[in-house]
Formats: sequence, C-alpha cells, structure tokens
Amino acid sequence: MSTTERNPVLAVRGLEVSFGPAPAVRGVDFSIAPGEILALVGESGSGKSVTARAVLGLLPATAAVRGSAKLKDRELVGAGEEELREVRGRGIAMVFQEPATALNPVHTIGWQLSAVLRAHRKATRAEARAEAVRLLELVGLPAASVVKYPHQLSGGQKQRVVIALALANEPSLIIADEPTTALDVTVQAEILALLRDLRDRLGTAILLITHNMGVVADLADRVAVMRRGELVEQAEVGDLFARPSHTYTRELLAAVPRLGHRDPASYSAESTTDALRLAEIVVRFKDFTAVDHVGLRIGHGEVLGLVGESGSGKSTIGRVAAGLLRPASGTVSVFGGDPVAARRDLGFVFQDAGGSLNPRMTVADCVGEPLRVHKVARGEEYRRRVAELLDAVKLPASYARRRPRELSGGQRQRVGIARALALGPRLVIADEPTSALDVSVQAAVLDLVTGLQRDLGFACLFISHDLAVVDSVAHRVVVLWQGKVVEEGAHHEVLRAPREEYTRRLVSSVPDLDRAFARV
Amino acid sequence: MTAVLEDPVEPVEVAVPARPRVFARGKGLIGLVLVGVVVLAGLVGPLLVPWDPYAQLPDANLLGPSGAHLLGTDDLNRDVLARLLAGIRVDLLISFTAVPVGALIGCAVGALATVNNVLDVAVQRLFDVLLAFPQLILAIGLAAVIGPGTSSVMVVVVFIEIPVFGRLLRAAVLKVREAQYVTAAEVVGARKAHVLRTHVLPNSLEPVLVQLALSMSVAVFIEGAMSVLGIGVSPPEPSLGAVLKTALGYLDLNPLFAAGPLVVTAVLVLGFQLIAQAANAARGA
Repeated sequence: MSTTERNPVLAVRGLEVSFGPAPAVRGVDFSIAPGEILALVGESGSGKSVTARAVLGLLPATAAVRGSAKLKDRELVGAGEEELREVRGRGIAMVFQEPATALNPVHTIGWQLSAVLRAHRKATRAEARAEAVRLLELVGLPAASVVKYPHQLSGGQKQRVVIALALANEPSLIIADEPTTALDVTVQAEILALLRDLRDRLGTAILLITHNMGVVADLADRVAVMRRGELVEQAEVGDLFARPSHTYTRELLAAVPRLGHRDPASYSAESTTDALRLAEIVVRFKDFTAVDHVGLRIGHGEVLGLVGESGSGKSTIGRVAAGLLRPASGTVSVFGGDPVAARRDLGFVFQDAGGSLNPRMTVADCVGEPLRVHKVARGEEYRRRVAELLDAVKLPASYARRRPRELSGGQRQRVGIARALALGPRLVIADEPTSALDVSVQAAVLDLVTGLQRDLGFACLFISHDLAVVDSVAHRVVVLWQGKVVEEGAHHEVLRAPREEYTRRLVSSVPDLDRAFARV
Repeated sequence: MTAVLEDPVEPVEVAVPARPRVFARGKGLIGLVLVGVVVLAGLVGPLLVPWDPYAQLPDANLLGPSGAHLLGTDDLNRDVLARLLAGIRVDLLISFTAVPVGALIGCAVGALATVNNVLDVAVQRLFDVLLAFPQLILAIGLAAVIGPGTSSVMVVVVFIEIPVFGRLLRAAVLKVREAQYVTAAEVVGARKAHVLRTHVLPNSLEPVLVQLALSMSVAVFIEGAMSVLGIGVSPPEPSLGAVLKTALGYLDLNPLFAAGPLVVTAVLVLGFQLIAQAANAARGA
C-alpha cells in the first residue's frame, strides 16, 4: 500500500491541542488513504491519543484545538456537536482499549448492535437484528452471540464485538486506540489478524494508536512516530524499521525487547539447597482451581521466568511464594523454611509501583520501611542505608523527600525495587515489574534489575506475560497455562524452540519486530 | 538489553502541585470566616455588652430593639443580646467537645471492629439500631432517661455521632486495607499494629475530618431543637436554642425577637457546612 495523497480519507494539517497553557499536541500533519493502516506510535504523554480524540471532537471542554482535520471534504475541527455526531460512527468509528468498559453490561450484544445501527439509519427491529448477526459473523463470532451479555464473553470476544460495533455503519475510517493492549498475546494475534482481514475485505482505513512496536510491525502500512506532542518521523513500516532516520525512533526500536536476541545464559547450581521450592501446590478460589499441582524450584542466584497469559495462575504462585496466600495443599519452602519466617530474606516488586507505595510517605520512608520494621538500622546508619539504596537504583538523593505522586512511573518502580532490596534479600519476587511502563523506561528498569541481580546475586522469580522481557532476564523459564506447568527449561530453549503445542502457539503469537525487517 | 535512553531526569508525567490548595479559597474561606465571626462573638461579645445574661432588669419587660438593648429584652426582663452571646459559648462548648468525643469513640469502635468478623457484624447491627432512630426521637428518648440539661445534650450528640463516625472509618479502613501498599508492608513482615498505624489509619482519616465539620453543624442544630422542645439546655442557662424558645412565645409581639438566635444558628451551620464541602473538594472527592 503506498502513500496515496490524492484522496485521503483523513487529512490532518497543523493540528494543535493545548490544555490551558500546556501544549499536548504541537502541529501534527498526517493523512490516511482509503484502506490504509496508519500507526500512530509513541510513549505515554506523547499526545497520540489526544490527537485521535481531537479529530473526533471527544476532548474535554478545557482543551483548545487549532489546525485542521478533514474527513474527505468535511472539516472536523471546530465543527458543531450535531455535525460531529453525524460523523461519529458513520464517518469515523472508534475502537477502545478496554472492551469491558466499552460495552453496556445490562444489554445483550444484539441489542447494542441494533441500537447503533438504528441510530444512523431507518431499519425495523428484525432488519437490525439480521444485520447484527451479519456483523458478528464478519468479526468471527457465532450468530448465537447475539443473545449473549458482555459478561458471558471473553476479553477477545468482547473486543470483536466492539469492532463489530465500529463497523456497524460502514465507516470509512476506524480509529483503534490501543485495541489489543488489554488482551493476552494469543488473543492479540487473533484481533490483529481480524483487523487486517477486515481492511482487506472492506477497504476500511485504520488509524492505529499504540505504544507496542510489535503490533505496528504486524499490522501497519505506514508509521508516524510521536514524541512530546510532535511528529518526529513518518515512513512506510519497512523503511522505518530498517532505516529509522530520527534518533528517537532508533532509540525506541532499540529499547523494544525481542525474543532470541540475548546470548543463552545458563545458571550453574553451586549449592544443593534451593532458594525457593514449590511442590504440588494447589490453590482454589471457591470452585475455581487457580493453581493445579504446580511444582518449581529456584536455585541460589538463579533467575526463573514465570510466563503465562492472564488467568494462568502466575501471580497467584508469586503470592504463594511470598507467603501472602496459603495454598490448599502442597509445600512451599523458602531457603528450607516457611515463607513467612523468611520475610527478611525476601523482596517483592509489584506491577503497579504507584499503588504499592503509601501516598502519604516520602520516598525515603517508603524505601526505609523494611529497615524500620525489622529494626535493622536507626539514626545515622539508617539514613546512610536509605541513601545507598536510592543510589543503587539510580535515583538522585534529592528525591528522598518527594512523595510517590511526584515521581514518574519508572521512578516509582525504582523506589519499589529499592524497597525490595532494603534488607539485602536472597530471593526477589517480581510480579510484572515492567508491564505498566513505557518501552524505553522498561528497558532502563530491566537493565537495572539485571545489573543488580548480577552484582548482588539474589535469586529471582520473575513473573511476566511478556515473553521477550522474560527472555532478556531469565536463566530458566516455566510456562504456565490454566494453572498447570506446560513446559520448563532454559530460556533460550523454551522460548526459541518450544516443544509443547501451547508454548509454540504463545511464541508465534508474539508480534515480532524481526518479521517487520523481513517484510522490507 | 543495552539501551538506556531514560533521561537522567525523567519527565514527571503528572504535574502535581503539593496538594490542590483549594481549601483556603472560595467556600472554605467563607466557611472559616463565618464560623470565625461566631466564635469571636462568643468569646469577646460578653465582655463588650454591659448587661449580665442572668440579671433581671427593672422596667424592661419584652422591650423591642433599642439603643440600650440592641435585640430587646425577654419576658423575664433580661437582655436578649447578652443571653445570645453567652448562649453561643454554650453551643460552641457542646460542638467542640461532644462531636470530637463521639468521633473518637466511633472511630475506635469502627476500626477495632474490622479486626474480627464476628465483632464486626455485632458492631454493625448495633450501629444499625442507633441509626434507625431519627435523631430527635433518640434525643427525646435519652433525655427522658437522663433528664434535660447541657450535659444531656452532649450525651445525645455523642450517641448520634458514634455510629456515623464508626461506619465512616470502617468503610475507609476496609477500602485502604485492600491497597497494594498494605500488601507491600505485609510482605516485608510488618506487624498488624504497624500496618494499621502507619498505612491504614493515616489514609483513612480524610473522610473523618470532613465529617467532623459536618457533625459540628448537626450538633448546633440538635442543641437548638432540644432546647426548643424543652429537653435541652435548662433555664435559666442561655443557649441559642433557649433564647429561640423564649422568642417563639412572643413572636406576635415582635418577630425580631427570634432574628438573633436564628441568624447566629444559620451562620454557624452554613459555616461548618461550607468548611466540610471545601475540605471534601480539597481531598479530591
């Protein structure tokens, strides 16, 4: 697909958006040809979502929008509410990140589709119903889904319904804002395939907003990279990946963790005892078996990657290992004893660093809390230890008196890591420590974690859904699926040459930057 | 993993002022001024008025407002303004002692109840019973047992506030207890008391502070209502409600008799309510 500038579906010229004195988007130009998929990529705060919302007039009243955004011949910037309502759904439809909240929980799928259909055209109930079935089949859902409620569908199915809703009035452009971010990789692969297929069959143009370079590589024809409200680079997807011209794009691409790009790291057991040993662990939540006879072990100084999709039980295992949750049966041993007794030797890093820090405490108090709880140090000695910890995670000493909300996401996670390391633990459990972070920040945090692990030599249970991230930090990998261990082995074997069917499917679902290079 | 492109000083994505300082402006300021004026009147007023609130003045029965008696005199020949200003002291005394006492007991009970499930259910049902009574019915019932008087108004206010604060703190504690920083403290090995003291309580107290201001206004209202019903502050002691009760009997002679206590009550209640609203806005609720 080439850059057709002749009759673009959407042409954005000099778009500027500001909230009060703070500019969010500073002069953005791009256009989308019919049937083209343009990816707007950037990290959080780069203004990509604001740009899309400005086009649809969905920004709050405090935003000032200037410039021009033309849908075919119709100017959207400054258009009245009535005109925009006409455009929304009919001219441009939107697919949101979180399918669960985009659907109304009290109405059936069929009802919601019919309502959207009948909002823009005259149709009888029966006609709308028939059309709803046709749309569901178009997005690969059985006709019977028409009578189902959102809670009866899985996340991927819900996102298909949201896409069906977007397609209902045959828009010429779909704006998809992080359409797969909330989904598991295998589901993500299906949704990406669906979007590509729909474009091929219906010729709908797609403006794809994402932070995930892998998704871009998989789906987009052309890429526009945004940074701090400006468009830094725009190119065909192959060109961009092969020859990024802007430094920022190059850095961004380099920061994306990739499968199979790290030299095989092996771990040699020196002692016979294990840092963590789980045997025949079973965890039940009422009737649901979250963890089903799982056994795993981590040697001293070994990094074990625990991967799996949502609901696979990986976080539950982390909680069991930390002694936060008692298994229904099975044995947990941390350094040969009960995990609760081993708390001094155990550090825990949370996914949501912001939520794991008390908003009323200063950074120094958060980091020093384990020292206070265990009365290891006080006075001058305490202050020195806290300063050392902040230094170890590369946070300036001046941040000690700040509150967590005055830090960025990456900095907050550094505080979380410093706290986990405060007591000099011999086992660190990290539950999705980087999945809430931007790629460049993630790269820096992973770098920090691997560096610290190498220097301090602690054992680590690294829980993540991101195979590439795990591949870049772990010695050994355990793959979980529906509460059971599917495959286990050295990271370069399991993640590059998987033996089990499920692992193969998982690995092949990962949107791959290398494939984008191959497309050049 | 070699790429390190995080700037040495990473941008803070959320520009945060230390705390939205909306409290001291607008509503909060007006509320503080209104309450402040009444408090000042109660503290300084009695020193400026030449009349004694209990003294019965000769030839001054039910006089209308005049230069000598700004709000007139009542049926027992006492200066209404002097009684009103002295009455403010009684009301403030009730508000500023009974409400905090009720809040303290309520919070303690509410927080303790969260520790044990059985205790929690028992306490909740007890609160249900207390809350099921309309405030004035509860007041009449209690006054019937312990008799009228300033102290019985205080007891009533304490009893009314205990379940209010108990419920509020319990709900806040249950919410905060699920926060991840509480789990983070548990995984470090912190004891229950440490978690409660450093994490749970400090993060649960904001709604309590808002409720304090709100309850102050309720206390003023309760005192007024009880005194007008004759079960509150007992004669000859002055209070906003007591002055109002006297005035209500002679409204046909001069409606202005009631103006003083009504205005003061309204200003006080409005002031407390505004403070509560502003405090609530300042905590981002």
